[in-house]
Amino acid sequence: MSERAGLIRRVLLGVAAAILTVVMVMPLTSTETAQSWGLPLMTDKLWFRVATTVAMFVVLSSAWNIIGGMTGYAAFGNVAFFGVGAYSTAFLVANLHVPFAIALLAAPGVAALFAIAIGLPLLRLRGHYFAIATLGVSVAVAEVVNNVEPLGGSNGIFLPIVRSDLLFFYLMAATAILAVAVSWLVLRTRFGYGLLAIRENEEAAAVIGINTTFYKVSAFALAAALTGLAGGVFAQWNVFINAENVFPVDYNVQMILMAVLGGSGTALGPVIGAVTLEALIQAFASGGEFAVWSQVGLGILLATTVIFVPRGILDFFGGQSRLTVQYLRNSLRRTGV
Amino acid sequence: MSTQLALAGVTKNFGGVAALSDVSFDVQAGEILGLIGPNGAGKTTLLNCISGVYRLDAGTITLADQELQGRPAFQIARLGIGRTFQVVKPFPSMTVRQNAAMGAMFGREGKRTPPKQAMEEADAVLADIGLGKRADVLVTSLTIPERKRLEVARALAMRPIVLLLDEVMAGLTPNEVDEALEVIREVNGRGVTIVLIEHVMRVVVGVCQRAVVLHQGRVLVQGATAEVLEDDRVIEAYLGERYAKAHRRG
Amino acid sequence: MSGLVQQLVLGLLLGGVYTGIALGFGLVWGVLNIVNLTHGALVLCGAYLTWWLFSSFGIDPFLGLLPAAGVLFVIGYALQRLVINRVIRAPLLFTFLLTFGVNLVIVNLLLLIFKADFRSVTPHYAGSGLEAGGVTVPYIRLAALSISLLLAVGLAAVLNRTRVGAAIQAVAADREAAQLVGVDLAHTYALTFAIGAACAGVAGGLISMIQSITPGSSGQYTLTAFVVVILGGLGRVSATVVGGLIFGLVEIFAQSNSHIGAGYSNAIAFGLMVIVVSIRPRGLMGRLSGTAPGV
Repeated sequence: MSERAGLIRRVLLGVAAAILTVVMVMPLTSTETAQSWGLPLMTDKLWFRVATTVAMFVVLSSAWNIIGGMTGYAAFGNVAFFGVGAYSTAFLVANLHVPFAIALLAAPGVAALFAIAIGLPLLRLRGHYFAIATLGVSVAVAEVVNNVEPLGGSNGIFLPIVRSDLLFFYLMAATAILAVAVSWLVLRTRFGYGLLAIRENEEAAAVIGINTTFYKVSAFALAAALTGLAGGVFAQWNVFINAENVFPVDYNVQMILMAVLGGSGTALGPVIGAVTLEALIQAFASGGEFAVWSQVGLGILLATTVIFVPRGILDFFGGQSRLTVQYLRNSLRRTGV
Repeated sequence: MSTQLALAGVTKNFGGVAALSDVSFDVQAGEILGLIGPNGAGKTTLLNCISGVYRLDAGTITLADQELQGRPAFQIARLGIGRTFQVVKPFPSMTVRQNAAMGAMFGREGKRTPPKQAMEEADAVLADIGLGKRADVLVTSLTIPERKRLEVARALAMRPIVLLLDEVMAGLTPNEVDEALEVIREVNGRGVTIVLIEHVMRVVVGVCQRAVVLHQGRVLVQGATAEVLEDDRVIEAYLGERYAKAHRRG
Repeated sequence: MSGLVQQLVLGLLLGGVYTGIALGFGLVWGVLNIVNLTHGALVLCGAYLTWWLFSSFGIDPFLGLLPAAGVLFVIGYALQRLVINRVIRAPLLFTFLLTFGVNLVIVNLLLLIFKADFRSVTPHYAGSGLEAGGVTVPYIRLAALSISLLLAVGLAAVLNRTRVGAAIQAVAADREAAQLVGVDLAHTYALTFAIGAACAGVAGGLISMIQSITPGSSGQYTLTAFVVVILGGLGRVSATVVGGLIFGLVEIFAQSNSHIGAGYSNAIAFGLMVIVVSIRPRGLMGRLSGTAPGV
């Protein structure tokens, strides 16, 4: 990276950290302080809802990025880990009366074990087959959960209500920071280099001494643990879970789109993508015909991102590429016929 | 000299077609062995069997006193087999230095080399092989001969006992071939045993003490390079029967 | 006994519809090497077109299949040539995302036009059927099975007997080599996609007579096509037929089993698919990758 690009990156990181600090501290300020700053939204329930949701998607897309962006395995069923984590925590809290703090720790564990169990056979598949098989697993798990009576069947599970917007915001934000920190760390270690090598050329990775099976399954389990943790937080936050709200097929695509939009394979890309896209989605989220149009808009955004900025928004921040007509034209030429 | 790598009865079938049948030969410690034969003779398949990319259907492959057959490719790599691919397989999003460092990071037994140390070792290997000035560029901006060198550098960074080279000279100009020969001799001079697949006969004659000729998946002839290349059966295998007869008469 | 035969018949009839849904999807996947997530939306377009012609102009739904195929052929050609061709050489993730995005656009436009209500096509002969020895064979489903099989035979004939088919097979086998012998790559890709879309249109028309349709079903159709193509295997029209029939049978038998019940139909389908893919990645009778599509 050139010196200028390094500087830009540092400045951006500084700005991002400053914004993050303000966002994190603001909910702590009393209503009067917030209003005296001219920020009446800060104590609004809606604000917490949006901010917590954004943090949740930062976790989901960062976690997907570990298996999809870094390892190059296009997992299309990560929502299964979200649901498994949510159900683990909910089952322990609601049925076995385990304290939430302990039950939450079970979520990443169970999700990771589940990822290892399905990863061992599925990670031998490549390309489309892996993508479809993971999608299939997520749909199938949702259906099984919907039919298993101890898990509430189609009635779902109700958890005891914990009324604290602040707590769940901080829990989800902490999970998001954990996910980003893990991604950042992975990219700087031997483990991360191993994953990138598998993405770039799995055969070459094996003959230079990388235990590809172990690395792939570990990456999958790590992604699952983080996703499961977010699911566990979601279960208690939302109080009610069922197969529909913790296994939404849409999330599979949303988390991938966020990572790709921001820049997949990098630590910051998924964050940028998740914040941008979720903010857009929330801004347009309203009922009726408008919601349908916003879905049309989302589809068009997906298509144009993939066609014109395949390397993500982050590509323009490093100082190496600029958003010019030439860039767009090259994007077209690189992948078209 | 002692045997470094021993192949005995190596057999590999693809869906009923025998790619390798009962291939047996030894590689001596410290030598450069040429593996030659016409296209489709099974040379690359044999390299894939040794490095664990393919599983053997029968036979044994022994490195010093360790049996390699049945082990996964990554273990074989760590035991000391380094290799290159005929069609180069770099890691395209990485720089030249990072590519070479991958060998140092993963390809050694028992020791986990951290990235920073691996990068330093990569620089040393790249300097040896004449890519020192290109360490910081992305591998996608290398020329084809440079990519072939990088392939060798990545394998060398593993500090292999045996280095398997799959047509690293193909497509090089005569000058580049001379340079590459220098590199091979130098590496060999440091005690690395080398098995190389080559079509450029000048290379085989130039550096290989011994040669093994594969033909239709079997060992046709093996022995000292000069003798092997004069063998009628070898000439026939390469050029066809009629040419071989003419050669005998002439 | 007759209960078993009845289920067998129903399973095969359902399998016929599934085959129809999957034919175009398998063709596009095999030749263009993309998993086309807009497929379900194209099926829906065919279904709504047939419904519209029937409810507004009283055109017999079987007659409506022809315009459905024609319109979808044109839509498919344009969609591939103008949009999907832009990322045809990109990693699979990108084609996945792009086709998902297009799917979202089409489905929501259908939602704006036709609303979320369930619609169905009910010609006067709906509900009547053939009865023999306690086994009922609904006429419409029998016709649907026959048309799906005809579609399969027709598709195989196009691939194996025509110039266009030869070009498609050449492109599927080796893109570069096909270009070297003068095949227009972009045009052939678009034609393949158009044929796939036309098949989807016909399948949609058939579905509109059998089930109620709503824009939300797009994903379900695409998933069905996935499962069928994977069960049978990629690269052969006959494999898709086998996959479709097996899937239909499995679903009917699973639904009628009191221990399993209808709630698990997706889980069974995907479980079956995951098992097949894990044991035999090329499907029950698929070809090895890189070979041309055929019978």
